[in-house]
Amino acid sequence: MNKVWLAPQPGSLGWLVMHDLLLSWRRFRSMFGGMSNRKGVIIVLIAIVVFHALGIPVAQWFVTTEPGGANQRLFMPALASIVLFVMPWLVSQSLTSTTRALYTRNDLDLLLSSPLPPRFILFARALAIGCESIGSVAIFVLPIANTNAFFGGWKWLAVYPALMAAGLFSTAIGIILTLLLFRIAGPRRTRVLSQILATIIGAAFIMTLQGLNIMPEGVREAIVTSIEQPGSGFIYDTQNWLWLPVRAVAGHWDALILWCSIAVITFTATALVLGERFAMSAVHSASAVATPARQTSNKPLRFRKGAGRALRLKEWRLLGRDPWLLSQIMLQVIYTLPVSIVIWRSQGPSGSLAISVAPAVVVIAAQISASLAWLTISSEDAPEFLTTAPVERHEVERRKLEAIAIPLLCFLAAPLLALAWTSMELALYTALFAAGASASTAFLNFWHPMPGRRVAVLRRHSQSKLIAVLEHLMALLWAVAMVLAVVESAISLLLLAIIGAVLWFNRPKPAKPAPLQTTTAIVAA
Amino acid sequence: MQDGVEDKFSRQANGDHAALRLGGLTKIFNKPAVNNFNLTVRPGEFYALLGPNGAGKTTTLRMVAGLLPPTSGSIEIFGIDALRNPIEAKRITAWLPDEPMLYDKLDPVEYLEFVAGLWGVEPRRAEANAEELLNVLGLWEHRNERCEGFSRGMKQKVALAGALIHEPKLLMLDEPLTGLDAAIARQVKELLTRRVNGGATIILTTHILEVAERLASRIGIINKGQLIAEGTLDEMRQKSGSKDSSLEDMFLTLTGVMENAA
Repeated sequence: MNKVWLAPQPGSLGWLVMHDLLLSWRRFRSMFGGMSNRKGVIIVLIAIVVFHALGIPVAQWFVTTEPGGANQRLFMPALASIVLFVMPWLVSQSLTSTTRALYTRNDLDLLLSSPLPPRFILFARALAIGCESIGSVAIFVLPIANTNAFFGGWKWLAVYPALMAAGLFSTAIGIILTLLLFRIAGPRRTRVLSQILATIIGAAFIMTLQGLNIMPEGVREAIVTSIEQPGSGFIYDTQNWLWLPVRAVAGHWDALILWCSIAVITFTATALVLGERFAMSAVHSASAVATPARQTSNKPLRFRKGAGRALRLKEWRLLGRDPWLLSQIMLQVIYTLPVSIVIWRSQGPSGSLAISVAPAVVVIAAQISASLAWLTISSEDAPEFLTTAPVERHEVERRKLEAIAIPLLCFLAAPLLALAWTSMELALYTALFAAGASASTAFLNFWHPMPGRRVAVLRRHSQSKLIAVLEHLMALLWAVAMVLAVVESAISLLLLAIIGAVLWFNRPKPAKPAPLQTTTAIVAA
Repeated sequence: MQDGVEDKFSRQANGDHAALRLGGLTKIFNKPAVNNFNLTVRPGEFYALLGPNGAGKTTTLRMVAGLLPPTSGSIEIFGIDALRNPIEAKRITAWLPDEPMLYDKLDPVEYLEFVAGLWGVEPRRAEANAEELLNVLGLWEHRNERCEGFSRGMKQKVALAGALIHEPKLLMLDEPLTGLDAAIARQVKELLTRRVNGGATIILTTHILEVAERLASRIGIINKGQLIAEGTLDEMRQKSGSKDSSLEDMFLTLTGVMENAA
């Protein structure tokens, strides 16, 4: 029996799932620059310990929601926001995994050509997707459940089955959505569309929470009151079916059993019924991977003049042809924005919205610019070719910077206009410092290129911790310098001088790059 | 500015400068990859650089293309000091490595537009050149397809078109026929021959001795970073002492002799 558990029989369901999960584990390791198994396990263990520690204040707060506690009435709303947080996250994960499974054909081709029933293979794949999604969320959520169980009683362990059920349910939704997209948009577009959809859904969970956080006190109060009053309306009625997962998490036995059953049935039905279709889609996606032939135009060739224009045009074409990457950057913005707002709300000097948002805009500009710069470098399929061209290196960099400026401006236009509406002067300061911040992070990336695969845009920092630290430092320095400049403090100039010094030490050396030297220079700076 | 530059190098090119002159070129990585290498290629020559794997062929050409700074020595392209004045040297040079340097997300027309822009080719002229090259290389039908879907041979052809669109005076090709099928290889050979007849200077490295034998007007054999033999095929035959030996025999003898001596 034990032996079967350790090494499932080849060809069995467990064996197939293990195979997929092994690949997921390797993917996880490669996210951290291809670390060893042991290191991976250590990182996971450390993460588990850290999240348990982070769970303690959460658990202590939840104790106050116990019947008779100070925050008793917030118990259900708090759980609801956690569910709102976790469910889109799970769906987003499974969308990404499903798409990957659909388009990583070489392995699916092999499996489907084996003498195992396709339905069985696809059920195993769906199960693996579910496990992966659950795993990636569980590492954050379950430690909190554990600490809650420690402080607040065993009923919190209901989070375990509720999360498993949520994972299976979301996987089913993810599969259905992907296949629906496949049906509507066709095999070629589905790949990008589902990735964008995953991004948007993934962003939704942050937005819901931050949305609640940013809402005025009165609105939040009204929502809580509505939830408290029974029969107050469709969405606010905790007995409503929409609240089923929340009640399951809260440890209501009937709800938990119902939620788990619904999840298992939905998942099994989806995996079995849609499995066949999934296989068909996978086969179809094979023919779609080759690039689409654009309509061959019969127009005569029309070239534009000049090296500068040629360089800019090329960058835009390459950026524009990767909508998924731009959506990833958008996601980064969405992630940063609320976080920055929270930070500056608690630490902003006067608490006024303008002073709190403006530095956040500077930080975001710096980060987007760094991402775009990294993209233009990693999309540089032929860096050697550029070296053989009769164009100076600084010209190439300048054109890349110009190419980045336009999309960056698109991202920043809305917040800048909003600022200008509040205060013209502040908007000008922001624009100025944002431009400076963007240019410095972009140049850092140009000067320390880390060629990486473009798909790794969100984890580019795993490639060079040093540049990541410097980028954040730059963003922060510019933001603080801006605030100080607005309040007319001379320290602002000092910060600008530090920025200049950091950049100076990181400027490209004319001879061959010497990473070691640069490191010491930064430490010295 | 543009005109001035052109005047400058046409003056230089019309003089009696060598197309390429390497003087004591040396590149040391851990051990010398190219060692005191002297070479003169005359304008209008089709020069084949032969040598066993790791002999320093590619390293040499990469230094000429400005991709690799030499440890010491000099590089002169049509009288322009390529180390002092790299931009001017690059303006009349094209480098085609064995792995084509392309952009997957661009189509051939966009790629050619990009290359022409970088080399400052006048747009009308670039358009005409692009159209001709795309037709000659059989890429016209595929001109609006992105390169990512192309076979290796197709990619190599697009890269070649890119190397030729700015009408370089010196064209350096590293193993240009590797991985090409017979039909494409013939197209490429014809195109290169035509360029040489049109006055361009071509230097190519190759493993395929037959290619050197057929195309090149002069052959240089490089081993362990040094030129060990040079001349036309006939001269080489005389040197090696057997009149009817093939280039392959001579190549093996020469490179083998060197190894034994060392």
